[in-house]
Amino acid sequence: MLGKLIKHEIKATGRILFPLYLILLLLSVVNRVLTSIEVFSGPLNTIKVFMLSVYGLSVFASFVVTFIVMILRFYKNLMSDEGYLMFTIPVKPNQLINSKIIVSFMLNILSIIVVAASLFILLGTSKNIEMIKQIWDYIYINLKLSFEDKYAVLLAELIFMIILSLIQQILLIYVSIAVGHLFTGHKVLGSFAAYIAINTVGQILVTIIISILAVINGTSFEALDSIPQLLFPFSIVVSIIFCILFYLGTNYIFNRKLNLE
Amino acid sequence: MSVILECKSLTKKFASTIALSDLNLILERGRIVGLLGPNGSGKTTLIKLINGLLVPNSGSIHIAGMEPGVESKKIVSYLPEKTYLPDWMKVSEAINFFNDFYEDFDTNRAYDMLHRLNLDPNKRLKALSKGTKEKVQLILVMSRRAHLYCLDEPIGGVDPAARDYILSTIITNYDENATVILSTHLIADIENVLDEVIFIKEGSLVLHSPVDELREKEGKSIDSLFREVFKC
Repeated sequence: MLGKLIKHEIKATGRILFPLYLILLLLSVVNRVLTSIEVFSGPLNTIKVFMLSVYGLSVFASFVVTFIVMILRFYKNLMSDEGYLMFTIPVKPNQLINSKIIVSFMLNILSIIVVAASLFILLGTSKNIEMIKQIWDYIYINLKLSFEDKYAVLLAELIFMIILSLIQQILLIYVSIAVGHLFTGHKVLGSFAAYIAINTVGQILVTIIISILAVINGTSFEALDSIPQLLFPFSIVVSIIFCILFYLGTNYIFNRKLNLE
Repeated sequence: MSVILECKSLTKKFASTIALSDLNLILERGRIVGLLGPNGSGKTTLIKLINGLLVPNSGSIHIAGMEPGVESKKIVSYLPEKTYLPDWMKVSEAINFFNDFYEDFDTNRAYDMLHRLNLDPNKRLKALSKGTKEKVQLILVMSRRAHLYCLDEPIGGVDPAARDYILSTIITNYDENATVILSTHLIADIENVLDEVIFIKEGSLVLHSPVDELREKEGKSIDSLFREVFKC
């Protein structure tokens, strides 16, 4: 059933997002062509500037619209009238949540890949590629110098952290919408309030825990070595805990407190 | 006769109001049951509880012996009073959706009914009127071979001609092992198709009886009896 839910999820979100991604890629091709030919001079140059601005806007739109579609889809499909359908098909509420997290995660990653690909189309000259290579080498050498043999761990932790924080953000939005749903009347307002409240409480908790740990250990987090050994693992653990709490919270509300209007 | 629905001292409260209070009810298979009561009497609450859209505060509810959950949802076909299909879908996509998630869904039956009501499966739901959307939903719900159909106000929004067609659809499309719960306050329209009636008032069961018995005993139609019981 999860597979079917994912299939329908992709269909429902892809109908908006895939055309948008396609437009972005097309615009980068157009701009690549425009920048490579030299016929635009004087007033005609505005065409070039205009097309580049449109491209810049569509990069921005790809991220923002992906994010908005993700939020609206969750709200509309589960908390509005469509919820009457979704919560009466024979699947467990947690499967609904799973399908939505998986597809939201995939779409966010896809939007990053599409933007990267479009930048490559636009700027991927041999000169630029060489430059990126040099920058990467520079970062790589410096990482190795600073962290010695731990640089690989550091990189792995960093990637894991980015993935986790994306999932945490998605789940935070989901649980906020679910909590907002508990309010009678102002459900959307309630969701915003829940988002701010959960976020604030979470940050205060993390700050308190860090302070306590720092006092107990007597170490500061300033030492370079502590980043891969302490700071990143700590962030990862905290992130995992938040993800679990947000997930369980959403699932609890869907299972026990559902009250569609 | 086996039991399809059993509610034991079922109670549901919302904040300050009691929507259902200590409701005891047993429904058997193969019946068409009218769930009758004025607005706000708890009809929709009961139907939502059967479908697991609400969790009772106390008491229990069993569908064919099962608590509301994945297994019960497989055998209950539910028509809410809302238009619950995503409006960007085509009618044919909605049919695919039902076919994907309900094992008991009969696609041919759905297309057949669409055809008879002159509905175009390639139309987007967005482009349909409210009444037409309701017809599409009813077709989807009645195209399942479910054990229990819960139809919440199925005839409220459609014209009288469609109303007749829908009622005959309901009667002809359920098999003898299935039970249909019809919630409505348009009693006169459905009186003739009912086997049993349930009257609820302010969350409590007022009466549950076979229609024939009731007519004989009271010597009047269900409609006039309703007007008497729920006189304002």
